[in-house]
Amino acid sequence: MRAAISMIGARCRLAAQLSGGLMAIFSSLACADQSDALTELSMEELLGVQVYAASRFQQKTTEAPAAVTIITAADIRDFGYRTLADVLRSVRGIHLSYDRNYTYLGVRGFGRTGDYNGRVLLLVDGHRLNDPIYDTAAIGTEFPLDLDIVERVEVVRGPGSSVYGSNAFFGIVNVITRRGRDVAGVELAASVASFGTDQERLTWGGQGENGAEWLLSATRYRSAGQDHFYPEFGATANDLDRDHYDSLFGKLGLGPWTLTAAWTDRSKKIPTAAWDTVFNDPNHETNDASAYVDLAYSGPVRGGWELAGRVFYGHYSFDGDYPYIYSPGDPVTVNKDRVRASWWGGEVKLMRRYQQHTLVLGAEYQDNAQQDQANFDAAPYALYLDDRRTSTRGGVYLQDEMALASGWLLNAGLRYDDYSAVGSTLNPRLGLIWNPQPATTFKLLYGTAFRAPNAYELYYAVDPQKANPDVKPEKIRSYELVAEHSIAPDFRVGLSIYHNHIDDLVEQVVDPDDGLLVFRNSGAAEATGVEVEAERMWNGGRRLRASYAWQHAVDAVSDERLVNSPRHLLKFNYSAPLFASGWRGGTELLYTDDRATLAGGTAAGYWLANMTVVHERLVKNLIVSMSAYNLFNADYAFPGGPEHIHESGAALDQIPADGRSYRFKLQYRF
Amino acid sequence: MLVSLRKYLALLCGLLLAAPAVVDAEASVHGEYEVKAAFLYNFAKFIDWPPLDDAQFTVCVFGRDPFGRALDPIEGKTVGGKTVAVRRLERAAAMDLKTCRILFIATSEEAQVAHILELSRGSPMLTVGDTDGFARQGVMINFYLEQEKVRFEINPRAAAEVGIRPSAKLLQLGRIVDTAKN
Repeated sequence: MRAAISMIGARCRLAAQLSGGLMAIFSSLACADQSDALTELSMEELLGVQVYAASRFQQKTTEAPAAVTIITAADIRDFGYRTLADVLRSVRGIHLSYDRNYTYLGVRGFGRTGDYNGRVLLLVDGHRLNDPIYDTAAIGTEFPLDLDIVERVEVVRGPGSSVYGSNAFFGIVNVITRRGRDVAGVELAASVASFGTDQERLTWGGQGENGAEWLLSATRYRSAGQDHFYPEFGATANDLDRDHYDSLFGKLGLGPWTLTAAWTDRSKKIPTAAWDTVFNDPNHETNDASAYVDLAYSGPVRGGWELAGRVFYGHYSFDGDYPYIYSPGDPVTVNKDRVRASWWGGEVKLMRRYQQHTLVLGAEYQDNAQQDQANFDAAPYALYLDDRRTSTRGGVYLQDEMALASGWLLNAGLRYDDYSAVGSTLNPRLGLIWNPQPATTFKLLYGTAFRAPNAYELYYAVDPQKANPDVKPEKIRSYELVAEHSIAPDFRVGLSIYHNHIDDLVEQVVDPDDGLLVFRNSGAAEATGVEVEAERMWNGGRRLRASYAWQHAVDAVSDERLVNSPRHLLKFNYSAPLFASGWRGGTELLYTDDRATLAGGTAAGYWLANMTVVHERLVKNLIVSMSAYNLFNADYAFPGGPEHIHESGAALDQIPADGRSYRFKLQYRF
Repeated sequence: MLVSLRKYLALLCGLLLAAPAVVDAEASVHGEYEVKAAFLYNFAKFIDWPPLDDAQFTVCVFGRDPFGRALDPIEGKTVGGKTVAVRRLERAAAMDLKTCRILFIATSEEAQVAHILELSRGSPMLTVGDTDGFARQGVMINFYLEQEKVRFEINPRAAAEVGIRPSAKLLQLGRIVDTAKN
């Protein structure tokens, strides 16, 4: 099989040599019949030919009532992405912060420090990952999947509450895992990287005679991390950047059924003395562990309806250890935060096409059987908080996509949600989609979305913070115009213009009556922006994606520019085969503009460049990949959250980012 | 910082310039639609066609054409002694469809697949697509990608309904799918 293909190559090179005396253009003309040679291949041979998929250009995304970006497994390989955060950083209109514990997403100019990405809904194969305590969308090393078992990541911008309910506030990130039959065997991967980092993975996937399909994967990650100097404390935090995780993922499919289970346990040392703790104390550590089981069904039912449904169980635990010296001269006391949450629920979605209509009806229910938060000192023991809650939430929705006159599509949706803790909310979405010609699409979109306050915002009460069970859901209204045009089937350009208005924004403020911190619906914000993007692929496998975003996000009360909101984002991703070697190179160049910090400073804009080379056929079944991250060794920092502003006055409002680092990775398939 | 940015940009320009020259050398990787075009030609050969009185063997593309120039190599080849001609259809009218022996239905026509299949029913024609769910809706062969390789589903019932018979080899290489019952 492989011989047949290299013969085409040989023929082609021969042609090139024959025309050696002529200009290069002749040799490329001589090679133009290379695709001609494809038609000479047998069907079995064709089944073995590797292609660069054009799936990103599928029509489907142009009909979605939103601007969608898809990052594929090929991008993950070509650009050496290590975490979901690496993937999202390359997506237009998204900026990131990392405070050396968690990674925070900023979307379209809005990146609230101190929230755990609760304003973005994170799904794995449609299963919701945001937990019912902090609403966390975990995108760093605490994300439960190894990126090697991800098939693609879909980023849907704009409000999605009319179908997805809470958290689909700025957008939805849906991670699709690989199918067992695509793995078809055992994969073993190992990598070593700078800062004392190593990662190992074992994956087994396949498909049986009866159609049953399975994927099992285990990953272990250990990183010593990078020591940084913190001028706020006049010292370097030594050996406090350690990051460890272990994760397991399993998926079993049979006919319309898919059973999934996932588990991850991640612990991180904290070098930043966040939450007013003692600087350079090795006790400072957090542990996040999450697990879920999900049984999904997707298939046709009677009467032309398609049914998709799932039942699920989830568990999340958090343990934070915070070293304090309560009064000068005292020994260090370790204060502990402990969170235990478990929930179960189900959802059902019915879809059918009926003449000009595509109807979707859905319902969702979740019982948060345990939402427990505790805070105590280990020794001497002192209990400060022991809050135990349960709650439920439910939602029903309806969406209709109507093909109006030729080339016009109207997408209308409405969802009603009810929360036992915070009441109900109704969210509509309207999208008018116009294809004046097959290659051109315009979308006019309007929608609202909400985020229900989480258990932490409602009930956490440890001095100097108090509870406020009266917080209501925050709301966003969004208007967007999208234009997309295909200059050629493999060359697409796009433009988005949007305006977002956020009301009843949940923010932590000081209650003037008692001086305590409390969450209230006191905020409001507005964001306006423009994004342009171009994507192109060439035969032979060169690919380019470039985008620019201009975003203007202000506090609607004070009219001041929001903290952690860059004005300009520029992204450039290019990958191509490198000479005749079989190596493939991928590089990205990402610019993030200045960001204001909480303490009134400015985190300077920076250019980040990453580069990866990968070879898939050096030895049969072996993939070799080498990456350099932060190639220029740019010295930059991220705006920190309120937990980094100390009562002592030390304002760690800029958290240093990693310098240049390297990774060497091998993957072998049995 | 600025110096290294300049170095990086110089390196990048090198890459951009080097890449076009090497594209042909990278012989084992092809455009998705070049490979799909080669498949279309193979399908034609592995179908047991009823006697046809067409002058040419016509391959039609309906909807937003994803092939571009990728179909050029199969134009002028022969199937059962007849020269292959490629036509891009403007509209789904029974009259236009009548001469197509292979009809590729693009993803853009997802909403009206049932209608197109209805119109195509009268004559021996192989319908092909590359959109999730097409085979179940009655398109005879539907491409999909697996590990960056082109695969196809085949719906023998849909083929039998218009009197064409895929060879045993086609059935063996494709994934068998049946029409969904409504």
